[in-house]
Amino acid sequence: MSLLAVTAVGNVLVWAVWVLAVATCIGTGLLVVTRTNPFHSALALIGNLGSLAVLYLLLSSEFVAAAQVLVYAGAVMVMFLFVIAYLGGKADAPWIGGRTWHQAASAVAGLAILVNVLVAIGMAAGGSLKHEAQLDQVFGSPSEIGRLFLTDHLLAFEVTSIVLLIAAVGGVVLGSHARRSEAEDAAALAAGEQV
Amino acid sequence: MDPWWIDAIKGFLIINIVLVCFAYTTWLERKLLSRMQGRFGPNRAGPFGLLQPIADLVKLVRKEAFMPMSASAKLYIAAPILSTFTALLAFAVIPFGAGWHIWKWDVSGVVVDAPISLVLIFALGSLGVYGFIIGGWASDSKYSTLGAMRTCAQLVSYEVSLALAVLGVVIQAGTLNLSEIVHQQGTQFWFFGPQFVGLVVFFLAGTAETSRPPFDLPEGDTEIVAGYHTEYSGMRWGLFQMSEYVHMITLSALGVTLFFGGWHGPWAPLGPLWFFLKLLVVVFLFIWMRASLPRLRYDQLMRFGWKILLPVATLNAFITALVVVAVN
Repeated sequence: MSLLAVTAVGNVLVWAVWVLAVATCIGTGLLVVTRTNPFHSALALIGNLGSLAVLYLLLSSEFVAAAQVLVYAGAVMVMFLFVIAYLGGKADAPWIGGRTWHQAASAVAGLAILVNVLVAIGMAAGGSLKHEAQLDQVFGSPSEIGRLFLTDHLLAFEVTSIVLLIAAVGGVVLGSHARRSEAEDAAALAAGEQV
Repeated sequence: MDPWWIDAIKGFLIINIVLVCFAYTTWLERKLLSRMQGRFGPNRAGPFGLLQPIADLVKLVRKEAFMPMSASAKLYIAAPILSTFTALLAFAVIPFGAGWHIWKWDVSGVVVDAPISLVLIFALGSLGVYGFIIGGWASDSKYSTLGAMRTCAQLVSYEVSLALAVLGVVIQAGTLNLSEIVHQQGTQFWFFGPQFVGLVVFFLAGTAETSRPPFDLPEGDTEIVAGYHTEYSGMRWGLFQMSEYVHMITLSALGVTLFFGGWHGPWAPLGPLWFFLKLLVVVFLFIWMRASLPRLRYDQLMRFGWKILLPVATLNAFITALVVVAVN
């Protein structure tokens, strides 16, 4: 097989994978918001995050793709499923409507995303998104990402770590508060029995 | 770079070897447990009961595949397939030999040589959890759901320690590629020496991660019948068992690769045979632990994971990083 033919086969394969990933991404995205069972919605969200990972892979960032699967499709979504299974899942009535300001806020958020998409399509049509760059060997490798985190994007990296720390401390505070009120309840119960 | 058909042959061979290993690990486990408890174990099917795994397979395949009336059918059927698939896939990135030159082709000793193969194993492991959770939830039974939630909490807790235990080796080797890590151990002392703390944390967290005793709370039979696979029978149950044993074999193989020099041996260059022998020793340790240690209580499990294992693993990674920076 000549080199040209190999590249052509490779290109067709890339296109096929891209079409499949994008179709899965949109399809599962729709499933997330249309399923009435929250467990099914969460599963669809896992599929959505997984197909995003495939898109990262096509952009030759293997490490980001693996991290996407490991962190988002793996660790984060396990928590979603845990909570849904914990609260009953299947037996629950689906969430319908909500307060007026909830509905208004979601409409505004949806509109913002729509504008975003339209602007992107417009820019692509206008040709202003056409940047060509040669990717070198280190692009997307763990060491290169680590270097960028600790040099160019140090501030964002540190701010993120503080935000995560606050979340962890918040979790501990909430947990210890729940334990304390349990102990108080037990003490009150014991006191009631004595009376 | 191998032609695609060499990769296909290697993939086919490795999957089948791993499946045979799974079948005979169940035999080895039953035999060893029996001997440690003063019994004979399987000794009817074939010499030394060697045909027992095949008899088990025939029985499981012929057994009625029961499904609860209220189960969500699609998810119930998909769950064991998903967990077996991810478990078998992980072995693709484990290097088992230095590579050979056969006729006019260079054949590498690993199915997929990804530059980030270690991260790939962890990513597959984190997807494998879904098989258990979905199976437990889709069964629509209290015991299954409780088992699924236990699995969920336990695996998420110990995954962190496992990853941090491996980090020491990664910092020292300076790569995430498993073949490269094994190559480095050919020229220097195996990593179980300098990374001994990492090895201990890896082994303990790995035992919890594969739900092996004494960390087998997800299926603690005195408390929640059989955990997430309570409502499964026949080969669907068999697939769950398969994925658990394959997880154990893969984790043992990962331990051998990271800490015990992979295919390197002290004397003869036997390659894959050394790898297999080391794997057998680690699997034996897992079975030995099952025979000798009682199951932990659930709060003990959580306390041990978060308050002892995680800080030790973090300290180990931190000190390794300091030493590596100081030496270089």
